[in-house]
Order: sequence, then C-alpha cells, then structure tokens
Amino acid sequence: MKMNKVDTKKAYQLLWEKITTLELAPGEILNIAALADELGFSQTAIQEALNLLVHDHLVEAPPRGLFVAGLQFSDLEKISTIRLNLETLAAQQAARNATKDDLVILKTLCNEIAGDTIELFELDQRFHQAIAKAAHNTYLADTLNRFYGLSKRLWFLALPYLDFLPSAVKSHINLSSAIREGNESLAMEIMQRHIEEFYLKIQQIIQDKKLILD
Amino acid sequence: MNKKNPPETLVLGIDAGGTYTDGVLLEYNTHQIIATHKSLTTKRDFSIGIENVIKGIELEDPSAIQMVSISTTLATNAIAEGKGKRVALFLIGYDPDLINSFDMGKRFATPHYYYIDGGHDLHGQEKAHLDLPDLLDKTNTIKNKVDAIAVSSYFSPRNPEHEIRAQNAIASICGLPIVLGHQLSTALGSVERATTAALNASLLAVLQEFIIAVRRAMEHRGINAPLMVVRGDGTLMNDEFAARSPVETIHSGPAASAIGGRFLSGEDQALVLDVGGTTTDLALIKDGKVTISETGASVSDYQTSVKAANLFSIGLGGDSHITLDRDNKISIGPERVVPLAFLSLQYKNVQERLKALANQSWPPPYPRELEYWYLQREIPEQNNFTAGEREAIDILKTGPKPAIEVLKSLGFLDTSQVNLGNLWREEVIGKSGFTPTDILHVDGRHTPWDEEASKAAISVFSHYLKWDEDQFQLIFWENVTEIISKAVIHFLTEKEIPTRKDTNNELANWLMDNSFRPEHEQLATRIALKIPIIGIGAPAQVMLDAVARTFYTDLVLPPHYSVANAAGAVAGSVMVTEEILIYPHLSAGNVDVIGYYLQARDNRKEIEDLEAALTEAKKIAEDNALSAALRSGANNPEVIVEVIQDGMDSYRVKAQAVGKPRLEG
Repeated sequence: MKMNKVDTKKAYQLLWEKITTLELAPGEILNIAALADELGFSQTAIQEALNLLVHDHLVEAPPRGLFVAGLQFSDLEKISTIRLNLETLAAQQAARNATKDDLVILKTLCNEIAGDTIELFELDQRFHQAIAKAAHNTYLADTLNRFYGLSKRLWFLALPYLDFLPSAVKSHINLSSAIREGNESLAMEIMQRHIEEFYLKIQQIIQDKKLILD
Repeated sequence: MNKKNPPETLVLGIDAGGTYTDGVLLEYNTHQIIATHKSLTTKRDFSIGIENVIKGIELEDPSAIQMVSISTTLATNAIAEGKGKRVALFLIGYDPDLINSFDMGKRFATPHYYYIDGGHDLHGQEKAHLDLPDLLDKTNTIKNKVDAIAVSSYFSPRNPEHEIRAQNAIASICGLPIVLGHQLSTALGSVERATTAALNASLLAVLQEFIIAVRRAMEHRGINAPLMVVRGDGTLMNDEFAARSPVETIHSGPAASAIGGRFLSGEDQALVLDVGGTTTDLALIKDGKVTISETGASVSDYQTSVKAANLFSIGLGGDSHITLDRDNKISIGPERVVPLAFLSLQYKNVQERLKALANQSWPPPYPRELEYWYLQREIPEQNNFTAGEREAIDILKTGPKPAIEVLKSLGFLDTSQVNLGNLWREEVIGKSGFTPTDILHVDGRHTPWDEEASKAAISVFSHYLKWDEDQFQLIFWENVTEIISKAVIHFLTEKEIPTRKDTNNELANWLMDNSFRPEHEQLATRIALKIPIIGIGAPAQVMLDAVARTFYTDLVLPPHYSVANAAGAVAGSVMVTEEILIYPHLSAGNVDVIGYYLQARDNRKEIEDLEAALTEAKKIAEDNALSAALRSGANNPEVIVEVIQDGMDSYRVKAQAVGKPRLEG
C-alpha cells in the first residue's frame, strides 16, 4: 500500500478520525466523490485511504459500494479479549525492558491533567501506547495499535453516558510505578484490572442504553 | 503517421511566482514547446492559480502528460508574510548567554524557543545529560499553542542521539509533527541548523495542503502522473520529499527561471535576468549549470543551511509601482500594483476619471491621485473585519476609487493613519497604479490592455514634473537601466555599490556614472560583460535591451522567453545528496584516537581503522543516495562520491545521485 503518498496519508488520518469518533456512523454509505469534494482531496486519495481503512476493519467493502463498518455487540467481547491479553503482555515486557527515557515519559503522562472526558480518553490512549513502546517489541506495539481505532469507536458510543473516570488515572500511577520497580506480575495485574474495568463499564452502558441491537 | 518520430513525451512545467502563474507543456526529448498559459497568482491560495493553469493549458488528451513539475514562491511568501504555522523550537545544549550576547534569538524564525540541557561536543561525545523531564514539561506547556515542533541539538550532525531521544519522547505525549535539525543539514552551524528546522516545521502543513490541492486539480483534468517540486538549487524532488522538507523549496522559482533560460537558449555561460511582475532576479550560468550559493539560502533575514542557487533579487518588475518621493524624484517599486491599463480595461469609469484628471487645470492633478483601490473578490462570509474595514468595503462596492478619495470618506488624510490590514492580507481589496507596464502601453511596445488610461496617467506625471512626455519616458528608462545595471555589478562583484551621497567614493562614483552615461571629453570607461544576458519574463525584451547595450553584450531572448521559468521547472534533474561524517573517537581526556565514528543519518558505527571507515562510508553513502534517488523519482541515477576533509582528522563523505526524472508510461 502506497502509504507514502502525501494526500493519501492525510486523507487516511482525517477519515480515521471521523470514523472512530462516529462522525461517520457505523453502516453509513461512503461516497468517494462526495467525500473528495467535501474534504478537498483527489478521489484517488480518498479511494486509497478507504482501502487502508478496510484493512483496519473500520470500513467494509462488500462486492458493491463501501460503508463504515457496523458495530456488533460480539465485537466488544472479541476486541476486549485480544486487548486484555496483549496489554498485559505489554505491561509485563515494559516492566522488564523499560529504559530511563520510557520511565520519564510514563511519569510525565501520569502527571498530566485531563480537562474533560475526551481528553482523558486521549491521555489513556497515549499512556497505553507509551507502555507498548516501553515493551520494546515492535510487533506487539503494531498489533496493539490496530485495536485502538476499534476500541475508540465503542468508547465514543458510550461517551454521552460515561462519568469522568478518575480511577483510570489512579491505575496509571500504580502501573507506572510497578514498571519502574520492574515488578512484572504487579504490572500485569494492574493492567488486567484496568482493561477489564474499562470494557465492563462500556458493556454495561451499551446494554443498558440498548446502543447496539444485535 | 510518420513512424520515425519517437512517441511524444509530454511534461507540464508550472511556475507559481509572486504575480503570475505560468505553465508550459513541453515535449521532453525535443524540448519543443507545445502550449503555454499564464494566469494571475492568488497569493492567499497558490493552488488556485495552479488549478487555472492546469485547466487552461490546451491539450486534447491531458492523460498523456507524464510528469508535472512545479516551482513556487509559496514557501518564501509564507515566511515573508508570516503565514507559516506556529512552531516551538527546542535548543538542546545551546548556550543561552552566547545566543543572547550576540542577540541571535531573533534569527530562530519563531518566538517560542526553549533551552534544554544536553548536547554533544565536536567529537560526538555527550557534553551534558539530556534533561528529558524538562523537555517534556515545556512541551506540555506549549503543545496547545503551536502547530509543530522543531528540535536542534548542539553538534547533532556529529551525534544526533539527543535529537532522536527528544523526538521519541515528544511523540509519546503529543501528536504534533516534529522536525529534527540533523535530518535537514549536516553542516555544523548550530544557529542556521535551528533556524532551518524551525522554518521547515512552520512550512510542513503549508506545503502539504498545497500538494493535496495540486493533486486534486490534476485529477480533475485526468492527469495521472508523478508530481515533482523544484528545490532552491533547481533540482527536483518528488512531492513526498517536498512535503517532508518544504524548506528546500525556498528560492525554487528564480532557480527554475535560470535553468529554463539555459535549457531554452542552450547558452552554457550567461547571466540570467528574469523580469517578473514584482521583482527582477539575477542568476549565473557557468559551464551549463546554475551556480550555487556558498552560504545557505536566506529569506526575510533568516539564514538557513539549505542549498540554493546563487541569486540576487531586486524589487523592480513590470508591475512595480511608480511614485514620486519627497524630493519629487521618480521611485520605482518595490511594491507591486495592478497596472492602470489593466484596471481600466475591467472598469470603464476608470478611464473617464483618469482622462478628466489629466485635463483638469485647477487644482493641478497630483501623481498620488493615480493610486486606485478596488474590490478584487467576494467578501468572505467568515471574517473579523473592523468597522473601518467594513466601511472601506462599502465605499468600494460601487467600483474602484482613488485611494485619497477612500481615505477622505473614512476621515483620514494619509494611508499611514488607516489600518485596513485584514483587507490587504486576505486580498479583498487590491491596489492599482502607474507602472512600467503602463509606460509600455504609451509608447506602443506592449499594448494588451487600455492604453488610454496609461496615456492619461503619464500626462499627469509629466505635467506635474513640468517635463514633456518623451522626456519623462527617457528619464524613466534610464533610471530602470541604471537600477538593473547596478544590480548586475553588485551580483557579480559582491561589492556594495556606492550611493551618490557617499562622497568618499568620488572616483568609484565617477567611474560608474561615466560608464553608464559617457560624459568625459578625454576618458572613456566601460564595464563590459564577457558573457551574454539571457532575458526571461514578459517585459524582458523592453527592459533589458538597454542593459545589454550598457554592458556591451548581447541580449539573448530564447523562444518562449516569457514562460522560460515554467520550462525550467521540468528541465532540472532529480538529485539526492547523502553525507556521512567520519570523526575520531578519542580516549578519555581526548588524548588518543581509539577509532573512528561513522555517522550516517540516524545510524552510527565505530570502525578502528580510518581507511576501512572511509571505504565503508563510501559504500553506505553510495547505496543510500542511489536508493533515495530512486524513491524520489529518478531514472537510472548516477552516483558521484567524494571525500572532503572537514577539520582535524574528520571527513565528510558525500554521495550525490543525479538522474533525469522518471516519467509515467
């Protein structure tokens, strides 16, 4: 895939953002010419960007037409199972391999104060990415990265009903100090609880509010 | 069909200059020009002018175009007009006292610069630990106030470790684009490197948007071909490279002009003078190549370490504003305005008003009454115009008005009292006035527009000065010739031209005067050019003829000289330069050489023996240059490797890969 093309790359970023924040809703039909006009890109760039998003499971391409991938309730479980395992692995590897620079980065992220729920989510995402990087395993980080978009969609779905989650910040601090101490099992444990808590909350909201009808 | 003819290879060259955007459709192998197009540059959005050229060029099957290449003053303009994005610059290991004592802070091209502990020394050894917590704290305070981040660490070309660690950390806490100094320049000047990084960061989004718009315009006309951008030294890079190092496009316009002049004329030794609407640019062709500046490109007083053609530019062009100064001397430029002949063609009442002014006996007409303001586009719906600005718009809604009339209606006497900044910046209102182009309309040498308006204007000027019109023209053209001739001498000698007031330079002044206007009865002096002048740009013939005569040389006007700049955009080669630094690894206390470091971009390697290090470096440099040239669109690039001694026991291994652009199809 020609990801180095300037316009394709930018179009991909814009569309990724629109889909993961549900501005383009699940199931919505994607019209290439209309998107090109609206966003000011060539149709080729939009086409190529959408192909990349098909790869990310964010766009579906049946034999005819293109649309934003639907959200199924079963996705939630599939995604959470994978993330639960990979994130705990990342936490363990980070506790083993983190460099001094990694620790400074984690500490800075812990000290940052989010102004609202969206900022908190972004901060949480950065924190997880920093841990994936501190694991010093490129394949693990790449694999995890692909799930952020899918996770983010579920989270945005629940967003209007979510309370501010200060407990997330608390677990960041604990996780960060476990990694600093090189305590692998503790890091894994905190990460597992942190992820479980997140998905349980989302699951509950989605069920209670009947946000996805399967 | 004649089968002997090779298939046509069509390429489209575009030059987006300060006034006009020119396009040339060219057969690549025969250099034959098939179509040309000229449209006005829209400074608030350069891609509009380019879209017009792509739309306007005459060709039945645009899909046959195999390459589009663009030179543009977009970057230069964005810097000069402060339209670049906001940048935070981190200076790692720089000495604040030193920077302050030489007042160098202004040179960084951004007010948001921060000092961070760290950096390396000449030998690539860590001078101080990188203070990462401080760097991240500062990033957090500034990240919502800027659009990009630049990092330059002390001696980073010798050892970029701190820049790389900084990038890694900053990218973990915010999503802003990050530019590193060592990736743009291997030169050791730390201030220039920081400036280059900051300017590059400020231009990233500007060039990205531009490329996206051009690609879209190409698609609208069914052109599916590689897109190239001209560098400041006239070589080409593909759009992907350009989007990453936009700072390299500074001066790409004048460089393309020089190359186009050489390409169309075939002259291998020549002085190129490109007369545009706003400026006249000078460049030198030596042995078939454009000469390169020893120091890096500079723009708006910022000195960068980017390679660029050796250029000199003066604010005198076909659309320069002609006014009178306080001593009633004719002043030309540097401001560019729309010629009255052009304005009058579009608004009929302008001609009537100008004629009435010329015939008015009392009060006598003033030359400053010739400056007109007009609305040049629709009023943007979203705006933050002041009350005064909105009033000015209302006044101009009924058509162009003399500036002094607008000022009077607003209750002001002078332009300096009124602030209509938004209207000028967003090109809502435009300025028209008396220009060299108008004088060409009067003498009939170049009359595409309304010569009646120009005639009225020259009559106002001549009456006011109590000259007849022929005398006015004669003196005017003498002035133009003198300004350009002095620029030629300054450019070629790099010496300051003495001003008239400088009485210490009596002889120099006399020599100069007597050479331009022979006056002495016994002594004849002449300053002769040993090479011809290549003239480029629409007014070149008229404005340069006398200049060539002054220098006792020929004026060469290549075919299609008015759009040679656009031809130059496709005439360049694709070039990539890779440099590897080799310098000694010293033992503790800098006593013995215990090996050699080989610094290739982000990778560093230690080799004990110097010969082995040089051999290895040559190989890596050659491989890197070759693959980078292929990636940036070169066809069969050739690589030349050279080793340059760079101070004590240090070497710079330079590989330059050059090839013609690879065409689609």
